[in-house]
Amino acid sequence: MSQQPEKDKNFVPSRRSFLQGGLTAAGGAAVAAIGGGAALAAGTPDPAITELKDWNQYSGPGVDAAPYGVPSPFEAHVVRRDVPWLTADPISSINFTPLHELDGIITPNGLCFERHHSGVAEVDPAEHRLMINGLVDKPLVFTMQDLMRFPRENRVYFLECAANSGMEWRGAQLNGCQFTHGMLHNVMYTGVRLRTLLEEAGVKPSGKWILAEGADASGMGRSIPIEKALDDCLVAFKMNGEALRPEQGYPVRLCVPGWEGNMWVKWLRRIEVGDKPWQLREETSKYTDLMPDGRARRFTWAMDVKSVITNPSPQAPITHGRGHTIITGVAWSGHGKIKRVDVSIDGGRNWQHARIDGPSLSRSLHRFYYEFNWDGSPLYLQSRAIDEHGYVQPTKNALRAARGDNSIYHNNGIQTWYLKSNGEAENVEVS
Amino acid sequence: MSKFLKFTASIVLLGAAWASNAGAQDADAGEKVFRKCAACHAVGDGAKNKVGPELNEIFGRIAGSHENFKYSNAMVKAGEEGLVWDHDSLTQYLAKPRDFVKGTRMAFAGLKKDDEIANVIAYLATFSASAEQAAAEPAPTAAEGGETAPVEAAEAPATNAADAVIPEHGIYHLGREALPEEVAAWDIDVRPDGVGLPVGSGTVADGGVLYDENCAVCHGVFGEGEGRWPVLAGGYDTLTADRPVKTIGSYWPFASTIFDYVHRAMPFGNARSLDADQTYAITAYLLYLNDIVTDEDFELSNETFSEVSLPNEENFYPDDRLEEANFATNVEPCMENCGDGPAEIVMRARILDVTPDGDDESGAGGID
Ligand code: HEC
Ligand code: HEC
Repeated sequence: MSQQPEKDKNFVPSRRSFLQGGLTAAGGAAVAAIGGGAALAAGTPDPAITELKDWNQYSGPGVDAAPYGVPSPFEAHVVRRDVPWLTADPISSINFTPLHELDGIITPNGLCFERHHSGVAEVDPAEHRLMINGLVDKPLVFTMQDLMRFPRENRVYFLECAANSGMEWRGAQLNGCQFTHGMLHNVMYTGVRLRTLLEEAGVKPSGKWILAEGADASGMGRSIPIEKALDDCLVAFKMNGEALRPEQGYPVRLCVPGWEGNMWVKWLRRIEVGDKPWQLREETSKYTDLMPDGRARRFTWAMDVKSVITNPSPQAPITHGRGHTIITGVAWSGHGKIKRVDVSIDGGRNWQHARIDGPSLSRSLHRFYYEFNWDGSPLYLQSRAIDEHGYVQPTKNALRAARGDNSIYHNNGIQTWYLKSNGEAENVEVS
Repeated sequence: MSKFLKFTASIVLLGAAWASNAGAQDADAGEKVFRKCAACHAVGDGAKNKVGPELNEIFGRIAGSHENFKYSNAMVKAGEEGLVWDHDSLTQYLAKPRDFVKGTRMAFAGLKKDDEIANVIAYLATFSASAEQAAAEPAPTAAEGGETAPVEAAEAPATNAADAVIPEHGIYHLGREALPEEVAAWDIDVRPDGVGLPVGSGTVADGGVLYDENCAVCHGVFGEGEGRWPVLAGGYDTLTADRPVKTIGSYWPFASTIFDYVHRAMPFGNARSLDADQTYAITAYLLYLNDIVTDEDFELSNETFSEVSLPNEENFYPDDRLEEANFATNVEPCMENCGDGPAEIVMRARILDVTPDGDDESGAGGID
């Protein structure tokens, strides 16, 4: 394991490990002048090519060296991170997906951000039950095995916490898109339509709402209108092909596509059908949006159209200097597909269409790219998403004008990164 | 029930440690009274500002003048208008803080007994005894999970597929009927209209004892929240303030939510350890801490529940985001020469740098 880079505590890990990598490789040619290392003089052969590498000479570990594969040790800095001061205790807390280290649209399971209200419940699937009760013809209990015998579907959905970017209402605060936008992941789920399960029990005509409840020690519960429950909600047991991770609700969670993450009840153990909402803590004390007049919106479920540039960003500076440059990021909407993403390099004065690549699915992340020739001058980078309904991602100031500073949730404003001529990026707001 | 007892025992131990630590030679009555203040105020050597300002040298201090403490505007104004803390002004303030300094942020209802007031002022006058709080970290660790409802053992695999019994219900004939005992074990939710309330009762006074034992370590003796633990009381009239304090009294729409949440999720780390009577009592006490009920003899029960309503109920309304100007559809956004002049930075994260690796490990705002 001598090649294992030291676990990097630096806030801009990609750059430091890059430099370290360069040193071990006896000065890589790829380190550009502004990256901090000296470029090889023209005509000097690159030792990465001329010197014989260990991996080129000696055999590596055989199969089964890691029965469950793990990322390269050189990727050790690609981890979820938290902001300790946000909450009193890590048991009821949050960490963030490292968006700036990812590409494409799928979030790897081990990097999906976590938010628990009473820690990660360790549930034995053999002792897990899903109950359906309330206004149904017959209250039912399912084992995991029962659940897996219903017709299954595979769907890719983003999950965004309603409080994502919530720390930014009063202005630019956290320096990194992992922290400003990382309460977000995008996963392919395998599961059974909630509709199928409800029909198995038979919903009575008076049934207008469901309560979804978790098996963890917070007994997480949310009321969901029956229309949504019968539409696209999924009772999922697989993520990206494998069993749900414990921190994502193993063995079974609810997916409520396009709606705030708190409703996607993990460790799902009970669905009750009722004629009114329950008004539990997570839909009264929390997840209600306080307006400037002191009143509050409730049942603000949908996550609005949003995007962010993930690279460059404060944790992912540009190290190659001027020349051909790629800006990339993600866009999503709880209302459907993304129709278009625009990118501005001058703080929103002029906009260009970005290129969307990869699958374009409803209520899923979309990956965009914008390629240009950077002359090395400072830029204000922004992205603006537009969804299939024509909803346009608003500026933060437009949101503040409508909602003040204290509504915490549903901040889908346009993000600005100030790209300096040395390639560093900073979280700013511009006029 | 046994889990509950175990939990209580650990809290009692914690309380004992705290008391002995705070014990001064002349442990007079005022020192005891000061425990009601200690969640928010410190005195003695090394006293720091907490939820409230430290109270060393309080006699002769101009109200609202401690340099490093952020007071309410009301307290600062009172000082500017000449309020200086002395025996008289303290007596009046501590009896009815919110009457004496209208708009004070001190979320404390006041001391009810004259001798308590006199004693605590005498104690403050000594400026000496240390009331530093030893009870730093909450102790409830032995979380053994909630009670598990009776569950059937997994069915033994059928030796012969053809022998499997297929239920009648539904479309796919999967799962089995839930038994009434099973539904009762899990269906503990309570709605604003009272549906789901179990039979039971508890008084404010009973709730106070339970609360002090099980909840105060985190939520504070008055519901003011220790450290960063949630605040449960106070915050009146702050919803339009720069920094709103959302509590049961200031924000929550329904009292049923208190019962439901405490019963399912609290105390944190030992959920579902409170029975129905205990939960009624604690709910009654939380209503009392929030001035929603004022009588210590008030008994909350499945029968009296409908008498209680929370002041902020009317101020919630359905999501109307779609009416905001931002949601106009089919408006082609500006593509060229938008805005006035070139973009200029108006705010930088560097100034507020609260990212995890920054030196300053604290920041504003929260995620809730
Ligand atoms: C829930 C927390 C809390 C409790 C409990 C509490 N206080 Fe306070 N106290 C405060 C806060 C906050 C302020 C500042 C008030 C303001 O700015 O309006 C304050 C202000 C004061 C002041 C004025 C200090 C100054 O510098 O002007 C005095 C004196 C005081 N409290 C005494 C007490 C005493 C004695 C008790 C116990 C009997 C007590 N308080 C209980 C929070 C509390
Ligand atoms: C060990 C610390 C701790 C103890 C002890 C504790 N709580 Fe809590 N309480 C918390 C935390 C943490 C939360 C927030 C949980 C979350 O994030 O979902 C909370 C939330 C709450 C809330 C909701 C607050 C809001 O604004 O939404 C109430 C009400 C509450 N607790 C009541 C109680 C009662 C009553 C007790 C005693 C029976 C108790 N708590 C004991 C830590 C504690």
